[in-house]
Amino acid sequence: MTTWIAALRSERIKLGRSQIMLLTIIDPVLCAGVGLLSTVDNGEGAWFGLLLVMTLLHAMFFLPMMAGIFSAFVCRYEHAGGGWKQMMSLPVSRSALYLSKLLVVTGALALSQLLFFAAVLGVGLLKGFDLSQVPWNLFAVRMLGGFAACLPLAALQLFVSAMWSSFAAPLVLNMIFTVPNILVANSADFAPYYPWVQPMLVMMQAGGEYDFGGFTLPLLNLMITVGGSFAVFAAAGLAYFGRKPV
Amino acid sequence: MTEMMIETRNLTKKYRGTRAVDALNLAIPRGEIYGFLGPNGAGKTTTIRMLLGLIKPDSGVVQIFGQDLRKDRLRILRRVGSLVEYPSYYGHLNAIENLETSRRILNVPKSRIDEVLHTVGLTKDAKRHVKGYSLGMKQRLGIASALLGSPELLILDEPTNGLDPSGILEIRELIKRMPQEQGITVLVSSHLLSEVEQMASSVGIVNQGRMIFQDTIPNLQRKAGSEIHIALSDAETAMITARELGCFPRLDQGKLVFKGIDNDQIARLVTALVDARHSIYRVEERRKSLEDLFLTMTGGGSSDAASADDTIASGAPRAAGLRREAAQ
Repeated sequence: MTTWIAALRSERIKLGRSQIMLLTIIDPVLCAGVGLLSTVDNGEGAWFGLLLVMTLLHAMFFLPMMAGIFSAFVCRYEHAGGGWKQMMSLPVSRSALYLSKLLVVTGALALSQLLFFAAVLGVGLLKGFDLSQVPWNLFAVRMLGGFAACLPLAALQLFVSAMWSSFAAPLVLNMIFTVPNILVANSADFAPYYPWVQPMLVMMQAGGEYDFGGFTLPLLNLMITVGGSFAVFAAAGLAYFGRKPV
Repeated sequence: MTEMMIETRNLTKKYRGTRAVDALNLAIPRGEIYGFLGPNGAGKTTTIRMLLGLIKPDSGVVQIFGQDLRKDRLRILRRVGSLVEYPSYYGHLNAIENLETSRRILNVPKSRIDEVLHTVGLTKDAKRHVKGYSLGMKQRLGIASALLGSPELLILDEPTNGLDPSGILEIRELIKRMPQEQGITVLVSSHLLSEVEQMASSVGIVNQGRMIFQDTIPNLQRKAGSEIHIALSDAETAMITARELGCFPRLDQGKLVFKGIDNDQIARLVTALVDARHSIYRVEERRKSLEDLFLTMTGGGSSDAASADDTIASGAPRAAGLRREAAQ
């Protein structure tokens, strides 16, 4: 256990004073812009309306992109400076190293999600919405569910990033599969199994007759798929990393 | 029986059918500086990566501190410091932060960072970003990081690669101090015999993945042996004279070359040659340099010794050639 924490603390040093965390700020700022420009009016369901409007850009684009960028980033310096050899010659198991990297990625995603949540509340207050009307339960489900739905993609991207020594290649892959999100979301058959669209599916269900395609699926079923694919991708990544020749 | 720090048995690694490391048996006793010598591509780095568990051997066993690497990898690695191929570093961090990434995992006191930086002479530049370091400084940082966990065994792969002469000297002195001051056993690989000769106490020579020589440096020097060259007016008839005295020289550019001949025999030979009216220009002893021996063993280059010595025919196994030569 102590070596796992040590591995995580070692990762923390490597992030250093890099500017990568700025990404977690750009996302809520842009989404706040969208929210401020939107025409959601004060009234019943205003908070939820605002959440849906702001979520589009966040869940469809930023979350999947950040999952890819953070994953590529935590592997970047090892690929560039030969750090894999050094790390793996230290008395720490490879799974601890890999999971600490995964934890850094998920931690950064959790931070993004938190900041986005703050941005939603901030925009609502600026628009004069009543704070006592915030549907906390619904928001909590969306925020936590959206975060959980990023995890399979994070695991998949980390796997690819650890395997490919190029920094750009995993990002290009991620971009190629993120762009068609809006189309994939229409398919109730295909969308749940598409890691790039999962955050959007979970966060953007409007309820009732507004839902279509992949958004009509029950949340529970979605989360089972999310959990299952996370387990598969994380296990595959761990298995690969444990045998990676360096 | 001396305690073996590293022992491998039939260590083998294949890449696409060719054996990069072929049934290698390393034996490194405690307290030695072991020079792991071989031309580029001989399998030195592949062997070292297997010693550290960075790659898995296709067959064979690695034992470090008498423990099986497959079973006790983490416990072994705790006592080993290493620098493989080229130094690893995080360019966006300074030297202290770079060492801190390893220190947190090794769980040694923070003061060790200052100590190892002092040992390798990087204290002055400790707060600079490593991406601005020269290759020599990165190399020294790599050694500092290898020393961080106060290892009992230090594995350094080509630590002087790419350094300037003063850097090489500095690293060499540093390595030579290890066994004396801290009781560290060192495995240091190199493709330069002269370098190994200057710091190692024993040596293993690999070529094409095979161990072709493993012994102490003095024994290697003894193997090099010496020859007596006699330059005279008519070498061919002199050969007959020599044979009559029971000496069997070979002819080399108008000179007679004798191996394993003692003073007495030389004296009689010279007398006989003078009596036979030969004009003797020169009688000289030539020590075969280790460099030549190395080239002969590894089959590289076309040095005097390699081309003249017909026991090392190109098709014959190198190791057999060495043994034959040594026996003469």
